[in-house]
Amino acid sequence: MPDPILEIDDLRIEFRSGGEIVHAANGVSFQINPGETAAILGESGSGKSVTAAAVMRLLQSPPAFITGGAVRFKGQDVLGMPIAKWRDYCGREIAMVFQDALTSLNPVFSVGWQIAELFRAHGVAFGRDANARAVDLLNRVGIPDPALRAKDYAHQFSGGMRQRVMIAMAIALGPDLLIADEPTTALDVTVQAQIMELLEELRAESNMAMILITHDLGVVADVADNVAVMYAGRVVERGPVSEVLARPGHAYTLALLDSVPRANSLGQHLKPIIGSPPDLARIPKGCAFHPRCRFATDLCRNEEPPSVAVTPRRIAECHHVEAVFNDS
Amino acid sequence: MTVEASGTVEAPVLEIRDLVKHFPATGGFATTRKTDVVRAVDGVSFILRAGETLGLVGESGCGKSTVARTLLRLEEPTAGAALFHGQDIFTATSMELKNIRRRLQVIFQDPYASLNPRMTVANIISEPWVIHPDAAPKAERADRVRTLLENVGLRREHAERYPHEFSGGQRQRIGIARAIALNPEVLICDEPVSALDVSVQAQVVNLLMEIQERLNIAYVFIAHDLSVVRHMSHRIAVMYLGRIVEIGAKDEIYNHPRHPYTKALLSAEPSLDFSSTRKKSSRIILKGEAPSPSNPPSGCPFRNRCWKAQDICAHASPVLEGHAGHRVACYDPEFS
Repeated sequence: MPDPILEIDDLRIEFRSGGEIVHAANGVSFQINPGETAAILGESGSGKSVTAAAVMRLLQSPPAFITGGAVRFKGQDVLGMPIAKWRDYCGREIAMVFQDALTSLNPVFSVGWQIAELFRAHGVAFGRDANARAVDLLNRVGIPDPALRAKDYAHQFSGGMRQRVMIAMAIALGPDLLIADEPTTALDVTVQAQIMELLEELRAESNMAMILITHDLGVVADVADNVAVMYAGRVVERGPVSEVLARPGHAYTLALLDSVPRANSLGQHLKPIIGSPPDLARIPKGCAFHPRCRFATDLCRNEEPPSVAVTPRRIAECHHVEAVFNDS
Repeated sequence: MTVEASGTVEAPVLEIRDLVKHFPATGGFATTRKTDVVRAVDGVSFILRAGETLGLVGESGCGKSTVARTLLRLEEPTAGAALFHGQDIFTATSMELKNIRRRLQVIFQDPYASLNPRMTVANIISEPWVIHPDAAPKAERADRVRTLLENVGLRREHAERYPHEFSGGQRQRIGIARAIALNPEVLICDEPVSALDVSVQAQVVNLLMEIQERLNIAYVFIAHDLSVVRHMSHRIAVMYLGRIVEIGAKDEIYNHPRHPYTKALLSAEPSLDFSSTRKKSSRIILKGEAPSPSNPPSGCPFRNRCWKAQDICAHASPVLEGHAGHRVACYDPEFS
């Protein structure tokens, strides 16, 4: 096994506001190897984006506080690194693509200028050289007439093209890890297919590792090698996608898979998960999923579930792994 | 009045003929000069039979929501007719429209914006009866609100609460209760589950299917999520740039798509079924993006992204052809 490129170890994040403490991440552990595509799968409020923001050191404190855990990139502590060093790291080593490209791009600078700014800020290239590199990148991510389009502003691009610009900026300095936070959620399916293909191409070309944050089971099944399923601020199951989605070991993963329409569920009623995701200021005691779980027993209501190795490569935090596994 | 597909056994509840909606596009701000039109809907025809679900799919900007809004006369159509039991919605007087709307209701996408935050749930659900007082005698209303709440999976005591006290899924249930309060025949569902979390979507999908079984309401179900549409619908219409490019029975469309756009759309959908024969390598990745509806290509609207385009596609618009169960607007319909 190679050394993981990124390790998140027992990360805890809370938001304090109005006398309330929102527990956004409650001991997130996750790792990704060089060149691998890993997905973080979860619904809104599961803690997937907040974990990524913490890794990128984008959380505003207050209201956010990292109350425990560590993040290591290539063995180096990220959270304690001096901010100047981290700024230099960002882009060169780790880069991020956000869901909403329109608000992530600066509206008053042309996209070419913004991409070239990366080279200037990191002292890689200046002047015409930086501009030429920006045009090359736009060409690389499939933007037609890149030399002309480099002079355009964010609002002049369509949603899909804007996301390509974001990707161009992210890969500009050849990072070893790309974090993509719902990169295609706002896009139509045919454009989503284009963007996912582009990301996969770029990843394979430079053997970059990619963390894909999504709520879409189909996207996970399509592109990821490994998946971490999050619920109420914890990774409840992780392992190879082909194993986890084919035969879940955690009751939440199983319930999620059962609730989406599939070709073999036609004409039947779906099996929804009862209730709604928990309020993170009032996470249920024991296993956070127990109020919605059909396997729940008194044990689940009172005690936090242990980490169980479902198979040698897979871990699930559930009191009833065996029952779930045999049911799926 | 002639029925469009002469082979049908029963008269349709709703028949849309050549619906056109063009929006004027003005040239930038500070001017009202009309420079262009946005052809949001450009000649759409379909029928809806009692108790069936017609899925309307397509990507953003294809005009599917505009179709819904014109049917409700939230937008005035540019041309065309929409016959509700033979009566044209578009030329109906306001009194006639009031009657039609009683039998033609809607559920919107955003459960946060579509409920008045200052009204209690009971008032929201009984508001249709304020407009149609004969639908429910005043004395019975409180009881009927509670029955409706139970019918949509909420509790009786929720009646006195306000929308902000509910989750997205629960709010969508309130919207559904309001929509069925008048026992409509047709329900227009404009992306009813798109704003909901995956685990909550299934609850609302099941509820809509149960309501249809119980009350025999016909749905026009608009969505961009193909797997949800497949699950819900009996027939499916695929829209592209303001037109229907393919329409037919669900199994026909999903198992034997003939229009290149339908094929691309279905193949782009991420699949959960590992055993599926549809491998990544056979995926059709379309080039470019849909053109702007203010400047559509001549002839077939899809031709500039189509790998089967021929000369004729640039000169003439293909019309929907085929048998009643499956019709395609393409010069190269492949029979698979």
